[in-house]
Order: sequence, then structure tokens, then C-alpha cells
Amino acid sequence: MSSTSQKHRDFVAEPMGEKPVMALAGIGEVYGKRLEEKGFDKAYVVLGQFLVLKKDEELFRDWLKDTCGANVKQQGDCYGCLKEWCDAFL
Amino acid sequence: MSQFVENPAHLSKSRLKSDLVAHSVELPPVKSKKEVYVGLHLQHIGQKNAVDFSSDEEDQVQDVSDKEEDTEMPDPSGLTDDDLKAALLEHGVKAGPIVASTRALYEKKLRKLLQSNGHGCLNGVEKGVLYSDSEEEEENGEEEDRELGSEGEKEETVKQSDQAQQGSSQVELCFQNGGFVYPQCFLLSSRLHARASRNREPSPKWNSGNAIESSEQSRPPCSQIPVGISRASSVDQHSGLGSGLTQEPVKDTVKNMFPNTDATTTGIYATRRRPIKGAAGRPVQYAYPDTPVSPTTLEKREVERRLVPIQIQILVFLIVTCLLYLIYVCVEDNSFGPSVALLDRFYQGSDSEEGLLLQAETQDVPAPSRQE
Repeated sequence: MSSTSQKHRDFVAEPMGEKPVMALAGIGEVYGKRLEEKGFDKAYVVLGQFLVLKKDEELFRDWLKDTCGANVKQQGDCYGCLKEWCDAFL
Repeated sequence: MSQFVENPAHLSKSRLKSDLVAHSVELPPVKSKKEVYVGLHLQHIGQKNAVDFSSDEEDQVQDVSDKEEDTEMPDPSGLTDDDLKAALLEHGVKAGPIVASTRALYEKKLRKLLQSNGHGCLNGVEKGVLYSDSEEEEENGEEEDRELGSEGEKEETVKQSDQAQQGSSQVELCFQNGGFVYPQCFLLSSRLHARASRNREPSPKWNSGNAIESSEQSRPPCSQIPVGISRASSVDQHSGLGSGLTQEPVKDTVKNMFPNTDATTTGIYATRRRPIKGAAGRPVQYAYPDTPVSPTTLEKREVERRLVPIQIQILVFLIVTCLLYLIYVCVEDNSFGPSVALLDRFYQGSDSEEGLLLQAETQDVPAPSRQE
């Protein structure tokens, strides 16, 4: 089994719909609040940013770090989660 | 950038004279120095050319200060979206849409590329042999930077911190040229930001310290990594104030990445890789059994574990044999009555098994005698 968390598997299992941003893997209460303050209140908005950055890992990680201060592990989790979601549903 | 008018200092004295004459400028006395001619040349011909080529003088003036800066657009934040995109494309990065939310990221990326190109081009192509030479060039360039003080303190500190981590991150810089940034570069960029923000005050101290060290350690005969480490340690020793301030952000970012490592005094962070199975010096993490156990001892231990159950098994066995014996006795009896009585006694009896056995024996004696 790969090293994905339950949150990751739950997110990637179905279309995200109106899930809040805290449903993303790597984004918990604290980071979720910060993202919401910046206007990224739903997971699909973060998906939008991810797609605008052309799914580039480095750029997305930098953006996450600048926006909510996520550390390297959380950045990776969130990136992986979104990437897999896109591979499955986009 | 092509220059239509040469820097007059590069022209010969006779050429300058002829230029002045061509522009109908009064010639200075014959024995005057070239500088006078150059000055006159600039003064008059520069003015004249200002009409035709308005940007040339600016270019000439800027060239001196821009010499150590990048030849391409120096300030990513001053570029338009399209220019930024073009600049990124020049570095081989295919940028996506440059929107409000992405602009900052692309600017940062362009800055990183410009810096890494400035340092990486000299190092990057040949990994092994040319390090010492390329270091010299870079140090000279950076020393000139410090002298001229271009772009304020931030770039200096960024370059200094870059230099300080060069030894440890040169291989990573090499990889940066391909346009892909590997996770190690996060450490580099985070260190850059941390140092840039905190190095304002002790920067003059840093300047002098680094200038000395760079010249001292410019020619390492051995490989880069030990030099980088030694430089980092010596830098930490020499600039106490700076190191005290910079160690904290460095430690924080590194601790984020590697939460399991302990803080070191020298600032060197070496992560322990997973030990190879069968390596000679096994780390203590591997759990070995306390003493070597032979198969016989293992058997004994198993037996000991089962000691109590074994007793119970023996007891059950005895009970079963007694029951069978009694049944055998009862079956042998042809007459039904005494066997029934025996059975009744057996079931009702609270006597011990020995008592029953005795009774069975007494019954047995007359039974075979009867049969006889």
C-alpha cells in the first residue's frame, strides 16, 4: 500500500463537489482557515489555482507556502491529492 | 546588446581627435592627456548623439553598474506579463497564464533562474574539475558587487548566502539548469529568504568576514563538499552575530524538513540514511535478540511454557484411563445387577478414585473366580 493517508483516499475517491478546503490532504484546521481568509474557501478554488499553475509541482508548492505557510510535507500531500484527483476525474 | 557608439575610453587618442574634429569640437592642447579628449568626446559627441540615439548614453552609464547584474531584464517585478513570460521562456520555462495570483510566483521563479544562471552557468556544466576555477570567477564577481553596492543590501546578502551554501548545494545548482528544481532547492531558497530578511544589520560584518574567507578558501584542492562544510563552519565561527541570527531560521526550515534530527552546533545537518542491511557498522536501531539462542534452548523454553498445560493433560489422561478401565470391568461382568450397582456407586459416589478402584478390584476378584 502506498503512503497515502485516509484523507487523501477519501478525497480522491469521488468528485470534490462543494467539499471545503479542509477536505484536502495536508490541509487541516489552521491552514484551511488561512486559505479561507485569502478567499480559497472551497476545494475547487484551490483546484483552480492548481490548474492555472498548469499542475506544476514546484509552483504549486511555492504558492501553498506563500499563501498558508504549509510545510514541505503538507505541500506534498496537497499536491499529490490534487494531482491524483485530476488524473482520475479531469 | 549592440552598441553603436563605443565607449570613448576604448578609442585611441588619434581616433578621439579625429572624432572631435569631425564633430567640429575645439581640440584641447596637443600635449593634453587622453582623459581630456575622452571627456570632450563624451561631452560633445554624447550630446549630439543624444538626438539620434537617445538611449545610448544611458546604456553606457548603466553598463558600468549593470556589468555584474544580469544581461537580461534585471527586475522581474517591473516587467509586463508578456515580458515576464518571454523571460521565463528564455530560461526554458514554459509558463502558464500570468494572472494576479500567479504573477508573484513567476517573478520569484525568474529571480531564482537569474541567480542560478549567474552562479550555475559557471559551475554547472562540468561537475568535477572546474570547481576551483569557477569559484574564483564568482568570488571576483561578488567582490565587485560588494564594492559597487548594486541593488542594495538584499542582493548582496542573497549572493553571500548563496556563496556560503555553494559548497553544499553546488550539485543541486547544477540540476537547476534544467529548469526543474528538486526538493533540496527548497532548503536553498528558504535559506535565501531567511538570510535576506535577517541579515540587514550584521551585513557589514558579514561582508568583511566573507571577503576574507572567500579569498582564503578559493583554491581547494579536494572535493567541494568538505570545503563547503568547512566554509560553513568557519563562517559560523567568524561572524558570530550573523550566525546567531541566521542559525535560527535555518534551523527552523531544516527542522521542518527533517524533524527527527538533533540540533548541531556547527550548523551542519546530515541526515542519516536508512542503514543498509548487512552493513558492517550496524546502527543501534536494529533490534537484536539479547543472547544467541540455540534450538535446544528454544525447545526448552517452549516446553517450559507448556508445563502447566502438560500437567493438566496428564491429569485428563489419567481420568480417561480410569474411566476406560472401569468400563472394561463393567463390560466383562456378565451379570447386569452388580455392574448396575457398581455404576450407581460410581456415579453417586463422592469417594476418591482410589476407593473406586479398590472396590473394582474387590469386585474383580470374585468375578473371575465366579467365571472359573
